[in-house]
Amino acid sequence: MVDIFTFLLIFLLASFSDHVARFSIDGSVSLPKSAAKSDFKDNIRIVVSENTVWLGQDVIAQVKDGAVVGLDVNKPKSSVLYHKLVQCRQKAEQSTTDTKEKNLILFLCDKRLSFKTINSIIKTAGLAGFPNFQFGVLKK
Amino acid sequence: MLGSRRNRKRLDEEEADIDVTPVMNVFLVIVLLLLISFSFFNLKAINTSVPVLANSEVVAAPGSDIRLTVIVEIEEKGIRLAALSDDADAETLKRLGTYFSKESAPNYPLDKLSSYLQTLKTKYPKSDTVIIIPEGSIVYDTIIQTMDVARYSKDVQLFPHVVISGKVS
Repeated sequence: MVDIFTFLLIFLLASFSDHVARFSIDGSVSLPKSAAKSDFKDNIRIVVSENTVWLGQDVIAQVKDGAVVGLDVNKPKSSVLYHKLVQCRQKAEQSTTDTKEKNLILFLCDKRLSFKTINSIIKTAGLAGFPNFQFGVLKK
Repeated sequence: MLGSRRNRKRLDEEEADIDVTPVMNVFLVIVLLLLISFSFFNLKAINTSVPVLANSEVVAAPGSDIRLTVIVEIEEKGIRLAALSDDADAETLKRLGTYFSKESAPNYPLDKLSSYLQTLKTKYPKSDTVIIIPEGSIVYDTIIQTMDVARYSKDVQLFPHVVISGKVS
């Protein structure tokens, strides 16, 4: 029993991280692996799977044939995503946290998605006042 | 006589046993705490940005080395490299451009890209920005792999500032 506990303790201590993801991601999202070492800031989170786009916990749009439904690439300001992000920016501006940190979006995206889909979302986010991103990846 | 010796031996053995209950209690508490904070996926992040319109004036420090901005275009059939700089002349910049074809291989020649970027970094050490321009059909995983190659090479920092942009046609 002591041996089992010791092994368990060593394993848990070895994998211990003070920066733990306190959120769950939909099982359909398969994140890419990377050698990145930076920690993420969980301010505003956009999750994109092959079928759905979430902003935080809320479903914002559906993805069909690689295109975000309701997001016209030529008129991104008319989309729900843009309006929600503007609201997020206004809310963040009122908070007391560091400006650089609050204007950062954590972008968790399925590795099989094409850049065409991702670009339409990051472009909209850029227009809404979030030009800086963090691409969430799994440690290699 | 023999019986009393056996009793003494048994008594010694009993005294030699360590009481592990307090240790187990401590272990149990620590294990529970660690299990609560255990993350089943180790999430990390790559900082990036999209190009923004800015009216800031870029002032190069007098006597500074050439600062390049490397452009990596990920195309269907390969990777095209180019460089931009306010400090270098057009001819120098033109010479720095190259193309790595995928040929028949399913994967992109990221090792070739890595060694070329290392050469650029050695030649122009003040350069720190790379603009990645993927074609619309390029998958996210390929973009992340290219970012990894452009940012670091075996723990050596190459171009840590990554900007991602769509192709302007």
